[in-house]
Amino acid sequence: MTAIVKLERVCKDYGQGDVVVHAVRDVSLEIQQGTFAAVAGPSGSGKTTMLNIISGLDRLTSGRVFVDGQEISSRSDSWLSRIRRERIGFVFQAFNLLPVLTAFENAEYVLMLQGVAVAERRRRVMAMLERVGLASLADRFPRELSGGQQQRVAVARAMVPEPALILADEPTANLDSQTGASLLDLMLELNREKGTTFLFSSHDPSVLGRARRLIRLADGRVVADESPDLPPRA
Amino acid sequence: MRALCKTSWRSILRNARRTTITVSSISFALAISVFFVSFTDGGAATTTNFAVRMQAGHITLQHPAYQDAPAIDLVVPGADALRRRLQVTRGVETTKLLVLGQGVARSSSETAGVAVLGVEPSVEAKTSLLARKIVAGSYLEDGSEGTAVIGRVLAERLKLEVGRKLVLSSNSATGELVEELLRIRGIFATGADDVDGYLVQVPLGFAQRFYGLRPDQVTQIGIVVRDSRQRDGIRAEAARMVAGSPIAVLPWEKVIPDLAAHLRVDGSTNLVLMGILLFLSLFTVFNTIQMSVLERTREFAMLLALGTPPWRLRLQVVLEGAMLALLGCVVGLLLGGLAGYWLQVHGVDVSKFGKGQSISGVPIDRVFGRVSADRLVSFGTFVFVATIAASAHCVRRISKIVVAEVLR
Repeated sequence: MTAIVKLERVCKDYGQGDVVVHAVRDVSLEIQQGTFAAVAGPSGSGKTTMLNIISGLDRLTSGRVFVDGQEISSRSDSWLSRIRRERIGFVFQAFNLLPVLTAFENAEYVLMLQGVAVAERRRRVMAMLERVGLASLADRFPRELSGGQQQRVAVARAMVPEPALILADEPTANLDSQTGASLLDLMLELNREKGTTFLFSSHDPSVLGRARRLIRLADGRVVADESPDLPPRA
Repeated sequence: MRALCKTSWRSILRNARRTTITVSSISFALAISVFFVSFTDGGAATTTNFAVRMQAGHITLQHPAYQDAPAIDLVVPGADALRRRLQVTRGVETTKLLVLGQGVARSSSETAGVAVLGVEPSVEAKTSLLARKIVAGSYLEDGSEGTAVIGRVLAERLKLEVGRKLVLSSNSATGELVEELLRIRGIFATGADDVDGYLVQVPLGFAQRFYGLRPDQVTQIGIVVRDSRQRDGIRAEAARMVAGSPIAVLPWEKVIPDLAAHLRVDGSTNLVLMGILLFLSLFTVFNTIQMSVLERTREFAMLLALGTPPWRLRLQVVLEGAMLALLGCVVGLLLGGLAGYWLQVHGVDVSKFGKGQSISGVPIDRVFGRVSADRLVSFGTFVFVATIAASAHCVRRISKIVVAEVLR
């Protein structure tokens, strides 16, 4: 299987001089295509930093990162922006949607950036909204949607461009447990149907239990990497 | 681009109150500026119109040395023939033959230095507003030799009434001392003491004989034009007619330099004040756009994370500023234009603000506004461009967004 994400001895430090925080320390791992993986750990363990490094939103201090076969470590900002636009989808913890755009317009946003024709955008967006159960709410603005519905629109937006990888940083943190579970179920179904790789972070055990691969971080290091597809760590 | 415009439009409507305040600020400042400039432009036009019609027209033909040292022997020869040619020039409303000299007016009790202006009564009655300012008696008529109209202030000083006589003394063109008796036919009151206390108007023929000039000699030929925008063309035509002869063809600004300077300074001062007003209102715009960018830092960070090119976000903010400016300009120009138009039609009676309102000796009692398309366009353009500039300055913040930190 192809590795969608590959980290080689990645380190990320913040600060300088006497005050240096080692957010990520010497992390090496591979995430295969089609994986539904979670990054777990307490606050400050490096979960968000690792996701930011993989997406190119943060620069690493040392090491190398490969996304979809391409090294991204030393690329320009504009190149990274293009990769995120074309190959990576995002679901954020909060403030996912543009408040001045409808659910449909939010979902089609990245396709619009990619220059996809209007008719094609409409077809793909409506199909995805249908899939996430929100086709009837396509013309609603985010303020008219519940938190769970907004996150579903965010998932639709992430899925519609058919990216290689979807990164979700604490996607259920602002949702109640039932809604959060429902969102995870949706993501899992999309993972199975489309084969899209999902990598999300969380500290909620009920959420983490749904992941097929669980990468545990502590103090910036991988302390556990559990998956039925991987051999146990020595 | 359509999507960008849609997003920008909805973004400015997001905070309707702030948008309303900003648009109101722009439109209020613009409306006031347009109104006041229409007032000053109209005032200048009214003043100029009064001055040129009461004096030597929009264009004056006179001896080249006359402007620096007016003397009765510095004349325009062949005035009648020249005048006939000028009269048929396209754009000329009328021409005036004038003899302007100095003298001393003496009544039975008092003496006063005066300016004596010889005019054609029938032409002057149609051209000069002074003819409508008669408060006692009547204005001059063609053939009313031996009569004069004087200002109320002069009449009071000399203790003269309609029907009474004054003795006019001066030096003729040949240097001889001359004296004539004149009967007061009418008394005028323009409201400007410079005019009412100094000017004596007499028929042209009387003035020519009094100063020893021939019938075809005058000190000035005045040309009154129909449309001031045609003035330069008419002046050039007049200059061609007199090429090679000792006759200068001058615009009114050269003939009445004090008035021209005053209007220039007045106009410039008003423009500066209006510019300051508009500039201050633009701070509101700047603040609005700055705040809206700051408030949306996280939103912009999210969009950048999705792969939005930074230029797109910058363009969105600039478009928002442009939309605010456009709204403000449309409303402001409409309000200011309507108010200026009202002023243009109805005018303002400035005599209520004090007796004897005048500008450089030119009396004014009612000011009519003047709304012009170039003023509207120039003000609107200034505000629009300045708002775009303010927006462009604010968008620098977008480039400084560190996405990872903001989204954390």
